[in-house]
Amino acid sequence: MSEYQFSEKYRDQLLRCSSCGFCRASCPVFNLTQRPALNARGKMLVLQEVFEGNLPLDEELHETLFQCTTCANCSTHCPSGVEVPTIIKEARRDLAQAGACHPTFIGMDQVLDKYSNIYGEDEPEDFERERNQEAENVFFIGCVGQYRDEEPTEATLDLLDHLEVDFTLIDEVCCSGVLEDVGLSLKEPLAQTNIERILATGAKRLITACPYCMRTFQNHPAYAPLKEAGVEVVHISQFLKDQDFGVTTDLKVTYHDPCDLGRHCGIYEEPRETIKKVAPNLLELAANREAANCCGAGGGVRGAFAANSIAMARRRLEEVEASGADILLTECNSCVHNLGNAKLRSQKFQIFTTPQFIHALVEGDLD
Amino acid sequence: MITQNVKDALKEIVGEENYSDHVIDLVAFATDASEHKQRPDCAVWVTSTEQVKAIIKLANQERFPVVPRGAGTSLAGLAVPAEGGLVMDLGRMNKIIKISLDDRLVVVQPGVVYADLDKKLAPDGFFFPPDPASGMVATLGGNVATNAGGIRGAKYGTTRDYVLGLEVVLPNGEVLRAGGQNIKSSSGYDLARIFVGSEGTLGVITEIILKINPKPTETATAMATFPTLADAGRAVTQIMRSGILPSVLEVMDRLAIKAINENTDLGLPEVEAVLLAETDGFTAEEASFQIQKIIDLFKANNASSVEMATDPAEAAALWAARKSVYSVLTRLNNTVVVEDLAVPLSKVADTLKIIEEVGEKYGLQMPTVGHVGDGNLHPGVAFDRYDEKQRETAHAAAAELLGRVAGMGGTLTGEHGIGLAKAPHMHLEHDPVSMETMRSLKKLFDPHNILNPGKMALEA
Ligand SMILES: Cc1cc2nc3c(=O)[nH]c(=O)nc-3n(C[C@H](O)[C@H](O)[C@H](O)COP(=O)(O)OP(=O)(O)OC[C@H]3O[C@@H](n4cnc5c(N)ncnc54)[C@H](O)[C@@H]3O)c2cc1C
Ligand code: SF4
Ligand code: SF4
Repeated sequence: MSEYQFSEKYRDQLLRCSSCGFCRASCPVFNLTQRPALNARGKMLVLQEVFEGNLPLDEELHETLFQCTTCANCSTHCPSGVEVPTIIKEARRDLAQAGACHPTFIGMDQVLDKYSNIYGEDEPEDFERERNQEAENVFFIGCVGQYRDEEPTEATLDLLDHLEVDFTLIDEVCCSGVLEDVGLSLKEPLAQTNIERILATGAKRLITACPYCMRTFQNHPAYAPLKEAGVEVVHISQFLKDQDFGVTTDLKVTYHDPCDLGRHCGIYEEPRETIKKVAPNLLELAANREAANCCGAGGGVRGAFAANSIAMARRRLEEVEASGADILLTECNSCVHNLGNAKLRSQKFQIFTTPQFIHALVEGDLD
Repeated sequence: MITQNVKDALKEIVGEENYSDHVIDLVAFATDASEHKQRPDCAVWVTSTEQVKAIIKLANQERFPVVPRGAGTSLAGLAVPAEGGLVMDLGRMNKIIKISLDDRLVVVQPGVVYADLDKKLAPDGFFFPPDPASGMVATLGGNVATNAGGIRGAKYGTTRDYVLGLEVVLPNGEVLRAGGQNIKSSSGYDLARIFVGSEGTLGVITEIILKINPKPTETATAMATFPTLADAGRAVTQIMRSGILPSVLEVMDRLAIKAINENTDLGLPEVEAVLLAETDGFTAEEASFQIQKIIDLFKANNASSVEMATDPAEAAALWAARKSVYSVLTRLNNTVVVEDLAVPLSKVADTLKIIEEVGEKYGLQMPTVGHVGDGNLHPGVAFDRYDEKQRETAHAAAAELLGRVAGMGGTLTGEHGIGLAKAPHMHLEHDPVSMETMRSLKKLFDPHNILNPGKMALEA
């Protein structure tokens, strides 16, 4: 029997997978590929074989163990309550320990040793704003919004200004939580930097654009000093729920639940409440809330299996098309980025983050 | 063993992207929802009848086993490649070819998932009734090959009652078209239905014609608790002869209730048995007239409590306990084997007693639920598969149970099939004449035993 952490820590859960196969219905990777080795059952069977000593834990298993968006659609519906993403993350850690981490993430780890962001960029966009001011709130952008999808960020900042929110940006660095998903460890020095800069502003609230950053700030022990200093961490969607925007539109909108906000944090209704304030015509996608299909970007899949990642996004967009909505809204820059890349020219709907959409309404850029 | 030459030929037939001998695929295809495991040599995902034909011809020539596979949700090892060879995954043949409300039928490829057909039919008010609990993932090909049933069996029958026609690739590579698009037919031997419940041992089903039914729009639900098994058993018998045909009549025994209470916060009364009934119809009056009769019979048979649901939310609350059972069972230990006995309706109460006796004898708890309207009972045994003693005890108890049930005229399996799990017990139910007839039939269709070998005790 194996000496690995995944089976040390999660033996009962791993073996409790009854291989009922019900996760065929929920796994986005399986729904795309129709390859049973890639759904949660396939992954649990592979790990059971490793546990029993019938299979080495090595690179041969990358294709299934790293092809998991950690969307938790399987575990949310699993009759046996198997926490699949947790077990997968631990197995990735064991792989890394054994010197068999996926090469994409060894690269990412090295980048984060040298740079302050996952893209290895030197010059962050400054969004024409002063940073590191004293303020009630810190707005934390995250790597995607800072270096890849600047438009939604720009719009969110403008909206916060319009709402006269007392906030500041900081010279932020990658929260580095994503490393934890791919078998590696968060970078303590990066966390230290963020904590110091956040606390220096005197802010009592940290608003994040990225649901994943929020989860890292809330849950990772390295960020405990934030909680100790009484800093409340919220996602922008929760913050906006209590704001008044003074605009409405008849446009038909729909909403994609990001896995990190929905299934991982249980935040389903606040974003919808906010949206309904400005766009009462909210249509639901065929799969929504706990059952929402993943955009395909999470868990390192966009980095390691780019083609399948985009193809998963494309399937999600088919649901958007079927809904008849003019606008697709979501609350995660990573989702926006992947869905945006996947959108076909023939698909007429537009994709925004909710703050970006509200800002456009305020500016009169839509209708 | 499949040679490299044959593997190359297989790739040629299905294309590189539909072939694999990668270890992750071999592991995933080694098992189904049972405790049995055996890795195949390789796997293909077929996309057309032509490909199936070419592969079967090759298998017949080269003599390697071919195991057709749907969603791999079999609970009795039907989809396990017991002798290695090739797993043929039919999941990518998943087109609904035709829905004809005029003819009241559908034509589908075998990889269509039960729930996907259901979603397509629902807007028109039709359904394919068997409704197995695994319907959100199980394939129609798998349903046909196992003769799948569900909780509505008493009123709506099982898959067999809906199969009008099949396209089957026979083990010699010929394509058989059996039956057709007629709701009735007395023309010759009923070849299509030979393949219903054949567990992939006689041919590969590549197209299915299914009768569909209009779906009742109204339901009414009631739940009753009983102080003794005898009371519940009598209630069942009287309901079944009352002239009312419930769409659902489920039982949960004392140990199932205990397991639910220990593992959920549903807080059921600790009684000997719970019965859950649903009636259906096209008007609310129709459904409630029937449920009222059933409630009267519950009361006449000593029910200690009766609850009725009049709206979907209340009904969901009554269903919660029944729906939690599988989930509760799988958390009791790392392995659960779900038995699938079926007995004549009048013997349900006796059988529940037997299950308790056998459990006591072997020191096991066997929580039982079942579709009593059609005599189908599912005792579950949870155990640690890494503890040899526990495993042996569980299997010995199951064997004794099957023997006693077969002895009183019951059947080894109501809906899951024989596969590997029940193969050693076939003789308990089927005498030498019927076993020999089955074996002859297998030889007639599959002289070289290439299709799903090792199942159903077909090899003498
Ligand atoms: C939690 C749970 C609940 C279940 N509840 C029910 C229930 O309520 N009722 C019920 O009847 N069953 C139930 N089952 C058992 C199982 O889901 C059914 O037997 C189902 O019909 C199997 O379908 P499948 O697509 O998974 O087939 P598989 O498991 O892949 O295959 C089953 C058999 O069919 C053969 N087969 C599959 N496709 C073809 C084909 N195209 N041509 C020839 N042979 C083929 C295979 O070789 C194998 O012998 C349940 C299973 C689970 C795990
Ligand atoms: S992970 Fe859960 S849903 Fe998937 S096969 Fe295992 S027990 Fe079933
Ligand atoms: S977490 Fe998502 S991608 Fe990973 S196995 Fe589960 S359903 Fe599939």
